[in-house]
Amino acid sequence: MAQTLMLSDIVQKFVAGNNDIQGAALVTPDGLSLVSALPSDMDEERTAAMSAAILSLGERIGQELARGEVERIVVEGKKGYSVMISCGEDAVLLVLAAKEAKQGLLFLEIKRIAKNLMAILS
Amino acid sequence: MEREKLGGFISIVCFKGVITGMEDALGEKATAIALTSAGRTRGKNLVTELGLAGANPSLEDLASKLDFALGENGTRLCKVDKIVDEGDKIKVYTHETVCSAGEVQGSTRKCTYSMGAVCGAIETIQGKRYRPKHTESVLRGSNHDVFEMTLIG
Repeated sequence: MAQTLMLSDIVQKFVAGNNDIQGAALVTPDGLSLVSALPSDMDEERTAAMSAAILSLGERIGQELARGEVERIVVEGKKGYSVMISCGEDAVLLVLAAKEAKQGLLFLEIKRIAKNLMAILS
Repeated sequence: MEREKLGGFISIVCFKGVITGMEDALGEKATAIALTSAGRTRGKNLVTELGLAGANPSLEDLASKLDFALGENGTRLCKVDKIVDEGDKIKVYTHETVCSAGEVQGSTRKCTYSMGAVCGAIETIQGKRYRPKHTESVLRGSNHDVFEMTLIG
């Protein structure tokens, strides 16, 4: 329970402290939500299943098409980014960001928070 | 639209064709996530339709209700034999699951849709959240397909 609170605290602060971050969720590799700070109109369970599935699919593409280990999956839409990144064996991190977000900075921030989350998960 | 001649059931062969086809295109892991999620939604909707959401009956009664909904007299997804409370987790004992049907002994196949449906149904009935795992299989020496569900909220 303490671990969940720590994870939740990191995710909540990450979303609240970055203007360009619109939501985030940490989910299990089998698609269950662990902690989240998502916009209220998004279904948490469906989002968790989608995030885990798309990361898995991306990893398969990386393997089948000889692209090597996947660093992140990025879905770039007209309204913004959805970024999925593995947090070790135990979790997948989803981050939603505004279109205005600077990509390099965004990826750097995501890498940083993923590292923090992994430290708690391990 | 109802099927006048063919009714509401399809062959397991066709259902398994959907699963293996998805696994071929998407990979086993992504398929398992999608099917477990689909099963959860199905289980949730089923017990809601039956008016059982939030009913929170005894585990014996719960097993009986699930067996009625999913078993021989229901949608024939699987037989639910018993549910055992083990503190922070519960174990659901099933057999004749659609996921294991048609598989050879020793097959590594794991239940996904059946497990998700059972999990989604129990979560909706009890108002709790579980992380399900298929721990024993009729394909690997057990008398049951056992779904171990760990409480997560």
